[in-house]
Amino acid sequence: MIINISIMLLQLIKEAFTLLMKRKGNVFTLALTILLAAALFFGGCGGNQTRQALPAGDAAAPGDTAALPETGRLVVYSSRNEKFVQSLLDKFEADTGIAVEALHGANPMQLVEEAQNVRADILISNDFGALGYLDRQGLLQGANPRGIESIPPLFRADDNAYFALSLRARGLIYNKDLISYAAMPKSNEDLFEARWAEVPGGYAITRGGNAGMIGHVSALRYQWGDEKTAAWIAAISTNAAGIYEGHGDIRKAVGRGEHAFGLVNNYYFHQQLMEPKHNNVGFIYLDQGEGQMGAIANAAGVGLVRGGPNPGSALVFLEWLLLPENQVMFVGESLELLINSQYGAAYPPAVAPHVVDFKDLKIQEMSLKELGNYFEDTKALIEASGLALTLK
Amino acid sequence: MSIPIIYVILRSLFAGAERWLRLLDQRIPELLWNTLSLTAAVTVFTVVVGVALAWIVSRTDIPGRKAWQWLLALPLVIPPYIGAATYISALGRSGPVRELWQGSALLVNLFGDYPLNLISFWGVFFVLSLFTFPYVYLVAGASLRKMNRNYEEAARSLGLNAWQIFWKVTLPFLRPAMGAGAVLVSLYVLSDFGAVTMLRYVTFTAAIYFQRAGFDTASASVLSLVLMLLTLAVLGIESLTGKKSKYYQTAGTYREPATVNLGRWKLPALFFVGCVFFFSVLLPLGILAYWGSLGVRMGALDQRFFAFAFNSLKVSSFAALLCMLSAMPVIYLKSRYPSAISSMIDRLAYAGYALPGVIVALGFIFVFNNHLPVLYRTFYMIALAFVVRFLPQAMQAGEASLSLISPRIDEAARSLGCPPWQVMFKVILPNMLPGALAGGALVFVSSLKELPVSLMLRPPGFDTLAVRVYFEAQEAAYHLAAPAALLLIFVSLIPLRYLLSKY
Repeated sequence: MIINISIMLLQLIKEAFTLLMKRKGNVFTLALTILLAAALFFGGCGGNQTRQALPAGDAAAPGDTAALPETGRLVVYSSRNEKFVQSLLDKFEADTGIAVEALHGANPMQLVEEAQNVRADILISNDFGALGYLDRQGLLQGANPRGIESIPPLFRADDNAYFALSLRARGLIYNKDLISYAAMPKSNEDLFEARWAEVPGGYAITRGGNAGMIGHVSALRYQWGDEKTAAWIAAISTNAAGIYEGHGDIRKAVGRGEHAFGLVNNYYFHQQLMEPKHNNVGFIYLDQGEGQMGAIANAAGVGLVRGGPNPGSALVFLEWLLLPENQVMFVGESLELLINSQYGAAYPPAVAPHVVDFKDLKIQEMSLKELGNYFEDTKALIEASGLALTLK
Repeated sequence: MSIPIIYVILRSLFAGAERWLRLLDQRIPELLWNTLSLTAAVTVFTVVVGVALAWIVSRTDIPGRKAWQWLLALPLVIPPYIGAATYISALGRSGPVRELWQGSALLVNLFGDYPLNLISFWGVFFVLSLFTFPYVYLVAGASLRKMNRNYEEAARSLGLNAWQIFWKVTLPFLRPAMGAGAVLVSLYVLSDFGAVTMLRYVTFTAAIYFQRAGFDTASASVLSLVLMLLTLAVLGIESLTGKKSKYYQTAGTYREPATVNLGRWKLPALFFVGCVFFFSVLLPLGILAYWGSLGVRMGALDQRFFAFAFNSLKVSSFAALLCMLSAMPVIYLKSRYPSAISSMIDRLAYAGYALPGVIVALGFIFVFNNHLPVLYRTFYMIALAFVVRFLPQAMQAGEASLSLISPRIDEAARSLGCPPWQVMFKVILPNMLPGALAGGALVFVSSLKELPVSLMLRPPGFDTLAVRVYFEAQEAAYHLAAPAALLLIFVSLIPLRYLLSKY
């Protein structure tokens, strides 16, 4: 049956060709014929291409990965800014010869949806809570990649199913033309006050579904419990003058002077310092005083997906990533803080004097691995407290 | 083909009473207002502008009449999300125009701070109107040219002046065309995803996409159901008004309509037409050309760019091929062996066309992830979704050419001993081919420009040009977005000639 139909199709296409060849000079139809042929060609070969194995690179493949089949491909889902991740993946391709297929702008929840139908090998996430959550759902898989001991135990799962490479702290970026350091709020508690709505241009926060905001609220829930946290969310969503999609919009708006300050991660402050204009900004690390909770931190890292199609490549990738130069590259243009700061992440001259090392900061005592336990309910709490997850 | 849609409906019905209530209480009223006010405003505005333009270029002695007739259809080739990006890049908050304004003390003192805010209702209204008015313009222009001169002359002989004739004779004649154009525009606004999200205006499509992006799939389904009902309502209004009044033209005494002498109105008319053309074609293309040349000099045409272009070509040509192959049997059956089943298939095909891409994509994710894992997140899935969305384009073109082939030819072939399937392949198809290919070209171009489905269904490592334009523009990397955008626009020019000859 199927063979019959394909023979008929081929017949049809042959006839179409002969018919078209008889006509002359019609560029339009000629173009369409080429299109038709191209479609057939791609349609025919597309299926093979996805399954076809490329020659495997062996540059970084150590002995213990030899047991796993090497497919020459690696599928990476990333929720991190594409600019930071793509250059890292390009270097991986160049170093190992393994072809990377990347899905940028992916949501960690896609792994939950695809649990029966796993497509990804590696998840790169900006939110340590998301990695912890996926691990708790049994979607990540433990591993023992070479070099993992360079990551402090606090920043990796017990079975190394996921680990962090870079850190960020939450805080307030402020425009020095509009507000002085002394006049700024210094703690999460301070943000309860309605008077911050009165500063020039007010202040800016992200929508509730933003990964940074979710992590922030999870940490507050750990510290304060749900009731006080809900009141805090209600206060900031009422008092904020602008609610934005992401932190990049906030730092630009504060830099331009549209808002006096905005709640962001510290590396957005670093990024704004790099702008040619509108860069007269400062940054407040929150809750640094005596008896205060300390700055809320979050980490970016990678997780190994359970049952991914290319387990061999995935392990090669993890070991490659743990090489010091590649840990530095993971931070790259994002201007976050490298967990292994001794590897010497290079910051541009405009930023370097403003970088505060994590060792010099008072950080909330909650272990980042705890974040995963809060991930799911936090979104519900945010929405119920009146901060929409998506922009309205 | 309708399975994905049914899936979305089922998912929404099982979303739970609590979720429904919360959405009905909080989201849906606001979304309804956002969506309906925008749709109504754009529709009314484009009908007025479209009819005015059609009248000016087809019935008056405006200089360069012939040229304007096709120049004004050109905005159709610029996808509104590209249009929105160009306007944001030039007039937006970080754009050069604002910098200039704020830099000039005179302007700030005279008129205050920079007044244009594109991220607003009026910004979306402006951008969507600019790139959708050709739908009304083309339909209205076609019926204006077909109108018989006799009616207007009768009116004149009864003492009406040109203005009165326009209101009392010409405009009523145009009612069906205006209705058809208005439905096209409203369906477009309801389904637009790219322009509204670029301009951060949240309509149903944007809300569905964001809910889905946050993996609240049940809420996305609920919103989809409401949007489907809205779409059905628009189609229902069309069929209601369409039946009420019929206008007959007597073919025997047809004479070309007369041209109106504009006289002293010539300059204002020329200014109006020129303005529309400037804002909807020249200015966006100019801005794109600027960013494009900047991008090319900065090396935007790298290996990645060609890989994206190749992906676009691959998925669009495959979709075009699938559409051509599946359209031919459907229209053949419909015209030669009409039955309840064939007309149902026909209706279903058109239903996919009216549905917004975000809903089709949502349904495809459900169906393929759960029941067709082999094809899930492959480019075949995108191509099949394109078939659902664009099959009617291939069908219309094929039908037009099939209607030119007399059933007698089939009968002759049958009498010479060919079984029906052989008649189809040996006689009908070769004769239908030009039409079918034209339909394929239309599908190809629509698929190339398509944004929401490509965005939501793309497999890892399979970004298309449209997706890249969207991402780069959102990151304000306009020099990287522009070369891809220009390429999309130029390829879209190819089937425009066919489109124009249809109207």
